[in-house]
Amino acid sequence: MISATLRTITGRKGSFLGGTIFVLVMAVIVIVANIVIHELRPGRNPSMGGQGMLDGVGGALFIFGVVVAILIGSLAGSYDVAQGTMRYLVITGARRGQIYAARIVAVVLAVLLMLAVPLALGAILAVTLPHTSADSITSGELVDYVWTAALFAVVFGLISMGIGSLLRSNGPAIAISLVFSIGFTPLLLLLYSLSETLGDATLASSLDRISGGNDGLPIAVAGVSVVMWVAVFLGFGAVRVHRDEY
Amino acid sequence: MAVADPIITLEGVSKSFGATQAVSNVSFQVMPGRCVGWLGPNGSGKTTLIRCMLGLARTTTGTITVRGHAIPGDVRQALTRVGAIVEEPRFYPYLSGKANLEVAAKFVGGDAATRIDWALERVDLVDRSGSKVKEYSLGMRQRLGVARSLLNDPELLILDEPSNGLDPAGIVEFRRMIRSFVEDDGRTVFISSHLLDEVQKMADDIAIVQSGKLVLHGSVDQLVAEGRQSMRLRVDDPVRAEETLYRLGLVTGIAEGEHGNLELTGERIDDAKAILITRSLVEAGIGVIEIARESESLEQRFLEITSGLPLEGEGEGSS
Repeated sequence: MISATLRTITGRKGSFLGGTIFVLVMAVIVIVANIVIHELRPGRNPSMGGQGMLDGVGGALFIFGVVVAILIGSLAGSYDVAQGTMRYLVITGARRGQIYAARIVAVVLAVLLMLAVPLALGAILAVTLPHTSADSITSGELVDYVWTAALFAVVFGLISMGIGSLLRSNGPAIAISLVFSIGFTPLLLLLYSLSETLGDATLASSLDRISGGNDGLPIAVAGVSVVMWVAVFLGFGAVRVHRDEY
Repeated sequence: MAVADPIITLEGVSKSFGATQAVSNVSFQVMPGRCVGWLGPNGSGKTTLIRCMLGLARTTTGTITVRGHAIPGDVRQALTRVGAIVEEPRFYPYLSGKANLEVAAKFVGGDAATRIDWALERVDLVDRSGSKVKEYSLGMRQRLGVARSLLNDPELLILDEPSNGLDPAGIVEFRRMIRSFVEDDGRTVFISSHLLDEVQKMADDIAIVQSGKLVLHGSVDQLVAEGRQSMRLRVDDPVRAEETLYRLGLVTGIAEGEHGNLELTGERIDDAKAILITRSLVEAGIGVIEIARESESLEQRFLEITSGLPLEGEGEGSS
């Protein structure tokens, strides 16, 4: 069921293939920019690869990977109801909970697949292209680079899937997911003005903490906070899928 | 489930959407191995009831049993050998026909994947199975929908307006396919359609629903036989013929047409009555030029029963 659901997600050329190519192109632009800058002013930019390349590609994947993950997740949530295929999944006799659980796993896999090539390309070039010893990359930094890009994309992909599952058409699902993830999530940081603890428990702060940030909740608590945020959205989506009439 | 048990049982089923009563106290049974036509004007509650039978919607009151399992309580067990098209067949348009069946087979589970090629062959879609569904005509999508509904080797097929989008040749082929499911495979087919003539040729039994209420249920032959039957005569002396026929008391109405045509209406003009009528006319010295016996069609019966409400238009949405 997971492989079948993944096939329906990755088969959507506009959201998955287009999104994957878009993220790859953004990563390539950053890579090329790093190389050009190095070639133009090697004295000031002595490393072609190394830490600078890793940070640049990681930053591009963080921003664009999240946007494409939102697209993938929200469509995964809304598409079957919008397209009318959901009723045909239900009348196979499969449990609605199973269908939903398979979709969660498939979204995670799809987001990771989308990130895989640009992540690998960035890492390989950062390590192999010439760089100074000061810019050399440790294995821990490589893990952080992969973890941060994957974490943010997967979390926002899943939250968007929960939002998409609450809606019956694709456009609003994408729009609301984007507004929540890019607009509302940073806005929640205003909670810091009310309480330090509330601010620390926001999605953005908790994500920052478990992706290497030094301030905020203990890392385990921040992890639980992120899981709770995702669980709330996926939970609402699950209730809708369980109760809906198709 | 014993062979003689009904494959579908509805008892007092009602379904409301807010203040709107879509289905009202519907009870009937479908016996296995029959093709049942499910008829009703647009908005009469046909699709709503089908959705309830498949566990896609919940009934407000009443009970539904499919293959001996209560819906929605045991819906998974009930649907293990039920195939369906609801409203219209929907697919992932960016995947091929075969890929869509492969996806469906994963959800069905068991040995469904082994039936994909057979199902495609059964609906004559093997040659186009590699094309993306978005390139399919509506008729091809209908056939692919039937193929998908065959993946779990269904005892019961529930098909909602499956003839939509089929050309005349496609309709004839589709009718053959449905009859083959019933006669060769022993499957039960529950089919909603607005193509009444097709249902008359395809179905063994029909149920007519109007405004959410079941108004008639029985075998097609019985329903047609119970309808008004008429006899059309052309005679050389219509006035004397009319007097003779009224004296016989076998007909309930006589309408005079042009060129000596008489339209006789009776409750049941069977062979014996027809012989008596013609013999009486000949013995009275009236020349009978032409004679034809006509039964009310299912379409006429349907319109009579549903009080002349307009029929559902082809390609229209669900009821």
